[in-house]
Parts: sequence; structure tokens; C-alpha cells
Amino acid sequence: MAVDATQLPHTTATHVEDVGQIPQWQLMVRRFRKSKLSVGGMYVLIVMYVIMLFSDFLAPYEHNRLDSNYAWGPPSQIAIVDGKLSTFALKQTLDTERLQWLYVVDTDRPLPIQFFVQGYEYRFLGIFPSKLHFYGVEEGYQVNLLGADKDGKDVLSRLLKGSQISLTLGFVGVVISVIIGSIVGTASGYFGGSIDNMIQRVIELLRSFPDIPLFLSLAAALPQNAPVEIRFFMITMIIAVIGWTGLAREVRGKVMSYRNADYTAASVAAGGSHWHIITRHLIPNSLSHIIVVGTLAIPAAIGSETALSFLGLGILPPAVSWGVMVRDAQTIEAITTYPWMLLPVLVLIITVLSFYLLGDGIRDAVDPYA
Amino acid sequence: MTSQPTTPTTTATDDVVRVEDLQVNFYTQLGVVRALNGVSFNIPRGKVLGIVGESGCGKSITGMSIMQLVASVGKTEGGKILFNESAGGNPINILDYERNSPEMRKIRGNNISMIFQEPMSSLNPCYTISDQIEEAIRLHQTEDKVESRKRAIEVLTKVGMPNPDRIADSFPHELSGGMRQRAMIAMALSCTPTLLIADEPTTALDVTTEANILDLMRELQSEIGTSIMFITHNMGVVAQMCDEVAVMYLGRVVERATVDDIFYEPRHPYTIALLQSIPRLGRTKGILASIEGSVPDPYSRVTGCPFHPRCPVAIKGVCDTILPEETIVDAAKGHTVRCHLYS
Amino acid sequence: MLNYIARRLINMIVLLVAISFIGFFIIQLPPGSFLDVELQRLRSLGGDVSRDQIKALELRYGINDPFLVKYWKWVERSSRGDFGTSYMTDQSVGERIWGRLSVSLGLSLFALLFTWLISIPIGVYSATHRYTIPDYVVTLIQFIGLAVPGFLLALILLIFATRYFNQQVGGINSSEFMDQPMSVAKFIDMVNHIWIAVVVLAFGATAGLTRVMRANLLDVLNMQYIQTARAKGLDEAVVIWKHAVRNAIHPLVMSLGTLLPALIVGETLVAQVLSLPTIGPMYLDALRAEDMYLAGTILVMLSGLLLIGNLLADLLLAWVDPRVRLE
Ligand SMILES: Nc1ncnc2c1ncn2[C@@H]1O[C@H](COP(=O)(O)OP(=O)(O)OP(=O)(O)O)[C@@H](O)[C@H]1O
Ligand SMILES: [Mg+2]
Repeated sequence: MAVDATQLPHTTATHVEDVGQIPQWQLMVRRFRKSKLSVGGMYVLIVMYVIMLFSDFLAPYEHNRLDSNYAWGPPSQIAIVDGKLSTFALKQTLDTERLQWLYVVDTDRPLPIQFFVQGYEYRFLGIFPSKLHFYGVEEGYQVNLLGADKDGKDVLSRLLKGSQISLTLGFVGVVISVIIGSIVGTASGYFGGSIDNMIQRVIELLRSFPDIPLFLSLAAALPQNAPVEIRFFMITMIIAVIGWTGLAREVRGKVMSYRNADYTAASVAAGGSHWHIITRHLIPNSLSHIIVVGTLAIPAAIGSETALSFLGLGILPPAVSWGVMVRDAQTIEAITTYPWMLLPVLVLIITVLSFYLLGDGIRDAVDPYA
Repeated sequence: MTSQPTTPTTTATDDVVRVEDLQVNFYTQLGVVRALNGVSFNIPRGKVLGIVGESGCGKSITGMSIMQLVASVGKTEGGKILFNESAGGNPINILDYERNSPEMRKIRGNNISMIFQEPMSSLNPCYTISDQIEEAIRLHQTEDKVESRKRAIEVLTKVGMPNPDRIADSFPHELSGGMRQRAMIAMALSCTPTLLIADEPTTALDVTTEANILDLMRELQSEIGTSIMFITHNMGVVAQMCDEVAVMYLGRVVERATVDDIFYEPRHPYTIALLQSIPRLGRTKGILASIEGSVPDPYSRVTGCPFHPRCPVAIKGVCDTILPEETIVDAAKGHTVRCHLYS
Repeated sequence: MLNYIARRLINMIVLLVAISFIGFFIIQLPPGSFLDVELQRLRSLGGDVSRDQIKALELRYGINDPFLVKYWKWVERSSRGDFGTSYMTDQSVGERIWGRLSVSLGLSLFALLFTWLISIPIGVYSATHRYTIPDYVVTLIQFIGLAVPGFLLALILLIFATRYFNQQVGGINSSEFMDQPMSVAKFIDMVNHIWIAVVVLAFGATAGLTRVMRANLLDVLNMQYIQTARAKGLDEAVVIWKHAVRNAIHPLVMSLGTLLPALIVGETLVAQVLSLPTIGPMYLDALRAEDMYLAGTILVMLSGLLLIGNLLADLLLAWVDPRVRLE
């Protein structure tokens, strides 16, 4: 009985071979899809960012428009009157005993909700001037779908406007810090020697500062009356400056181990330039790790902005961010009597949670064994 | 090639372990993996049984099943594992015990012990070598600290550890791979088990260290009389170590014979292919590379003989539809095979 | 070992000097000075301050000294144990900080203890019962803990405590105990006040550490030496607690160094909501009022705590894991 092993035919089980041929990133996408919560988080974030892009269009009022007739006004009631989607005028009375505004819905005075109305002027996507808004009511009245704050400012409009800062500030800060961290970490790990030594000293020094106090003192040093764009930019920089050190260390460690790997050695032997080796071998190998760290740092950065604004050191009124709004919700009175003041907190929690879920899913997909 | 005396292995022989129709399935997120589909074999007392087969065919799972150490996603869904502590004793079915039951724990490490593939990660980095060896001794043999320490040193000496007193107080990271594997063997033998399951104990070692460790195991085996289930990829190692061989393919034993018969009278086409892929000279690793095709996806089920898609002599209409039964080709020597060519 | 500690301590002093310089620089960055803030306050109250008075005050506080001179004065006096005088209250900085820091430290140590006592067993439980309902519940709570800001939790607990337990909250003592010496009654009163703070402080950190503990333990449970331990016949509980947890606990030990200062300052928002007399709000006030000696001293002290915490964590780690070398 003799069988020639070389004549054994190919297996019919093509499925297995498939797996070997799928590019690495497609495998990651597959693994990522498996985690329902992370996919959910991703969709929530996509929706939020799309809403942010259209926030001025969706907001019926300018975020600072005061109207004492609606101070602490409750969320508007919506009903269909005469076949039209309407809200109602409010009658405002003062409860002299408890010093509170009381509102009664005047059902005799329906206010049909109008769509695609003209309102305050804004620049769509920061470029195209427009006055078009998605909805509104008759001039002289206000529709506050999510209630109004103590000055009668529309909470929904403020939430929408605030998203422009809250959803971008932390994000941009982390992106910058990730860029700094990767560059410095790669340089440190790749060149080693005295460059590495110096960089490590700087990192050590920066890490010896407790972050929150450093954060607070840097924020306190910002000019008080600078325009909101400048403040935004500076807070972003603070987040970046404080955040990059951890990533730089990790990237350095990875780069050091890859530098000693065979393919790098081969590339060096083949006369590859530093630039070539770094961009072709080292960065792609650390990229997935960098993305994971970045995604998980964003919620923390968003939290930092909120905390700063909450303490009055971040974004300052008249500009609005979710942190600024949260500041108005910090009293027991606000929470118990005007619960809609907690909406920015809720939105923040959802955002932060979605980022954590997303980051978690990416991490598991990128590195299933860690 | 060493030629071992070949005892006939019929059902009447004295077996340390008889595995009968063992089935293990893994329930994973991606589907069910049928890791073992009815594995049967026996290990005669005082002998070394080699288990060979391609990666993923279920060798390790078979070993772990005997210890009841299969990860909890793996469910044993049929079969028996009969363990007989002493000649003439009453065999017990290990699968009757719960994984973490006191009875099972009494068997583990005491009557049956196991050595793993990776000496680098088999020892806990946080405890010294003697801590880890003494742990087993105190659990099963004596609670006395002085006595257990003495025995730990003894067994370290026995496995040829240089300077056993000093090594005993070292941490695993201070030892080389070969030394760690010796320490593992010492730990496994510390309670003089009836059966030792060695799961590729030398794959991670260099060739010289491998030869030393194999010599050591063979020596200790004849000295203590422990039966060994020796899992390996390497036919060269089989020739050197084993008395009997079971060849596994896709969760089944496809051929079972004495070591001489496997090398000189192989029957199953898979065994033949395995043997032909041994290079005559030089490296003995990676021997399976030249079998064409690869093991089918573990999630799917192949109808008929699981080897038929790769078999050069498959009979159309038979091999791809009917699962071959175990056939006795030489009753005297206990040579059995699962192939339609012989039924 | 002693050699190592000595080297670390020297390094720490060098770092602290650098920190004090950079920190002081940042803190005095805002234009204007404490005096401007103070004058503004006086004027808004309708008071009027003459030019001469201002001059005198400027001289007294050394407002117009160049940065280096101010820094040197501060360092030189600090090295004598005199941290300067707080502009805000004319009290000695050392005294003011000490009172607050002890409250902060006490609170944070409690929170730390709480965090460890809860996150280790829960992390172990959820790792060993993966994909069961309790594990999902723990995971859910963890995410909530990460996402819900501490001050909100504080507010919610505050509402519950006042409404349903009819308890006076905020501060660390009821008014009647304020100026009394410590007694059993005062202690009980204190516990009644600070439990909310401890729970809130510990909650976020516990959520984080439980996650870390679970993930690590899952990694460790896949290690070969865990199978080795089982193969010896050890009871599963021994395998987990003796062989697995000890290897999984590294990051927890390491977090010790950063967690303590983080807890101490992390309570800034919580303290604000609960009006606790801790160091966080004080630091904030000092920054706002440009009281730079006070702020600078707090910053350096916190950095010192961080560095000491890191050193302790490293020593502890070397004790837990023999592979870690102190060098
Ligand atoms: N924890 C697990 N989850 C799912 N499937 C598993 C698990 N452990 C093992 N398997 C499957 O069981 C089958 C047999 O695995 P086993 O480890 O016994 O292979 P092996 O023959 O020892 O291979 P090797 O020579 O590579 O060690 C494989 O197909 C593997 O995919
Ligand atoms: Mg194996």
C-alpha cells in the first residue's frame, strides 16, 4: 500500500482559506460588527454629528434670545388643531408665595407650527449665509420643545448650538494630542539615544503634574474676554498638551519592539530611509493601537470641557456649550422643579457612553486577545 | 528507531485509561466546533502511547478531557473515560465527576498529571519553583512543610536539575526554557502519578534540549513505571518515545497500532501520507507541510470519511457518503484502522 | 533597595523644583494681580481706594516685582517651612492648606479603600461568570459609572438624602458640631455627612477599576499556568484567588499612584456641589483670586503626593511581582 503524498488533491473546504485572504482591516470590521453595543454607539454618534452640522437650521431661536414671558417655561404642548400641528400660547402668572412662575396653557390660542421659516441669520457649515430654519411659530410667541431656562432661552436651541462646541472641542483636542503623541513617541522609540532620553525627561516632568490642577491653572490663565473662537482654540490646546504624554510612551514602546522586528531589519538592510521605515512599517503597525487610545480619550476630553465650563473656567457665557448649560443645572431647585434643565446632562451622558462603547468595540476588534 | 517489545492490546489487557467514543463540542459565537467526534483508544499500563495528528485535530482536547480541564465552552456530550488506578482494580468513569468536585481534584495532580507545551508560560511568575511544586505535594501527600520541601528538592534532583537547592528558591523568569520544562516535569511527577499526559512537551525547545528532556522522560518512565500519553506532531519523537501510537484526524482516531506497525505497516492513507512527509535528513519539524490541502473548517461537517476530500485513493460513492467504522486488521497486536479499504 | 529609594527621592526633589517653577509661572500668567481682583471687589461694593493706598498695598505684596523675584521669595520662604501669606485671608498658607488637605486626604483614602474593596471582588466575579446576567449588569453599571459625571450623582444622592432620609447634607459636619472637639457624636455626624462624598468619589473610580480588573483577569485566566494550577488538583477558588488574581492586580497597584491625587482633586466638582471644605474648591478660589502663593503651594504639594504615590506603587508592585526589578 503506497500513496504518493504529493498527489493528494486540494481540500474542498474553501471557507478556511478564505479567512487567510481577507485583508486585516476587513477582519477587524467583521469583528467590530459582532459587538452590537459598539455598533449602536457608532450610529448614535453619527446621528449626533449630523445633527450638529445642521444645528443652526434645526434651532428655532438664537441661543441667547431672552424672553421673560417664558422664564422657566415648560416644554411646549403639541396637539393637532384644525388639522395643523400646533402648540399653544402660555399664560404666565406669579405664584407670590413660592416666588415661582406658573404657566397655564391657553387652549383657545393655538399657534400652528410653521416649517421652513425665516429666522436669525447664521452661516450654514460656517460658509453659506442663511436665515432658513426648520420650524417656528408666529412672531411674538415662542415654542420651546424642551422647555426654557431661567431667562426664557430655548433649551433645544441652546443644546443644538452647544453641540457645536461640545462635540468638536474634545474631539479636536484628542486628535491634536494623538498627533503629537504619535510623532514624539515614534521619534523617541525609533532614534533612541539622547533624543529618546531628552523626550522621556520632558514626559516624566509633565506627568509629574497632577492633571486636573494643571488643567485648572492653565485654563485660569486664559484671557477672560477673548472671543469664543480663541478660547475654544486654547482649551483645545490645553487638552492636547496634557493628553499626549501617555500615548507617546505607549507608541514608543511599540515602535521599539517593531524596530527590532525582522521586517524592519530587512528594510534597513535594503537601504530603506528613516522616513520610509517609519511611514511604511512603524506607523501602520501602531496605527490600530493609536486609534483605540484616541477613541477612548475623547469622552474624557469631552468631560474635561464640561468640568471646566461647569467651574466657570472653560467656555464662558454668552457662548454656550453643554458644560455651560450643565452649570445652570447644578442646584437642587433646578433639578426638582425644572427637570428639563437636566437634558444637557443626559445628552452628555449619551455622548460619552457612545464614545466609550465605540472605543471598546474598536479595541476588541483590533486586538481580540487584549 | 528503537524497537519496543510489543504486547498485544486487546480488550482484556490491563489499561490505565480507556477512552470510549468521546465527543466534545465547543459552543462559540461563530458556531459549534465539533472538536472530538467519538475518540476511542486505550493506554496500557506502564506504556507510552503516542498521539499524533495535524494541528487542530483534537489531541490537546483529548488530553484535557481526561483531566477534565477543557474550557467551559467545551461540552463533553458523550462517551466514557475509564480510569483504572491499579492493576486488577475497578475502573472509574472520570466523566461521572463534576469538573471542580473533590473527587476530580483528588485525581488531578495525584493520579493523573499533565505537562504543557509552553514551558515559558506554564509556571506562575509570582511564586518560586519550590512553592509551586510543594503546593501539589501538600495537597495530595503530606501537609508537613519540612517534608514537602524535602520531597520537592528530591524530585528536582531526580529530573536532573543542577543545583536543586538554589533553583528551588528561584522564580520561573530566572530559569531557561529547558530548566522550566524540567521543573514542570518535576511538578508533574512529584506525586508519582499513574498516568502522565505530556502535551507536546518539547516543541518549544531547541533540538539539544529536546533530546535531553526526551531522554529524561524515557528514563523516569522506566524507573517509576508511570504510563504516559505523549502528544506530538513529530514522528521522529514518536519513534524515540512511544510503545504504541494513535493517529488522529479531525476529532477521531483513524489508526491505532504498535509503534513498529505504524512505521512498517501503516494502513490508513492519512498515516501513510504523514510518514511520507518526514524528511529523511535534517529538520524534523513542520513535517505535515507536504500533505496537500488543509484540515477542513472545524465548523462544517464533512459527510462520509472526514479524510476523503484529501484522500488519493478515495472510493467514489463510498468514502464520501459512509463514515468508516473501526476495523481490526491485526487482533493480536491490537492494530485497528478506520478506512473503507479494510472493511 | 534603599539605594533605589534614595535615588528616587533625589529625582523627586529635582522634579518638584522644576514643577514649582513651571507651575508658578503658569499661575502668575493671568494679567493683573490679586490686588486688581480685590480692588474690583471693593469698588463694586462702593468703596473707594486712593492711589496712595494702592501703592502701599502693591509694595506690601510685592505686586510689581519681576517674576523671578517673586518666585525666589516664595521658594526661599517655603524652604523654611513658611509658604507665604494667602492674599485672600491674610492667613498663613500652610495653615489654610493643612486643614483642607487633611479633610481631602481622609476622604480620598476612604474612597480608595472603598474602590478597592468593591472593584476587586466584583471584577473577579464578572470575569469568572462571563456572559451571565450578573456580568452584563456589572458591565452596564461600569459604563454608567464612566459616563455619569460625579457631580450629578452627588446631586441625585443629595436629593434622596434630604427628601427620604430627612438628613442635613453638605459640609462635613452639622452646624452644632462645627467648632466642637472630636467626639463619638461628632464622628457619627461626620460619617453621616461624608458618605455621599465617598460614594460619589469612589463610584467613577470603581467603575474604571472593575473594568480593568475584569479584563486583566480574563487575560490571566487564559494563561497556561492557570491550567497548570488546575492540573495540580487545586480548588477553583484557590486557582482564581491565589494564582490568577495576584497576576491580574498589577494595573490596580500601579493605579494607586495616580488614583490618590486624582481623587483628591477630582472631588473639586463634587465638593462644589456638596460644599465640602476640601482642597479642590480652595485651589479653584485661589486661582480665580490670583492668590498665587496659595495656588502654587497647593499645586506643588499635590505633585509631591503624586510622586510619592508613584514611588509607593512601584515598591508595592515589586513586592507583588518578582519579575519587576527596582532600578
Ligand atoms: N476554547 C475553544 N473554543 C473553541 N474551539 C476550540 C477551543 N479549544 C479548542 N478548540 C477547537 O478544538 C479543536 C481541537 O483543538 P486541539 O487544541 O485539541 O488541537 P491540537 O490537535 O492539540 O492542535 P495543536 O497540534 O495545534 O496543539 C480545534 O479545531 C480547535 O479549533
Ligand atoms: Mg495542542
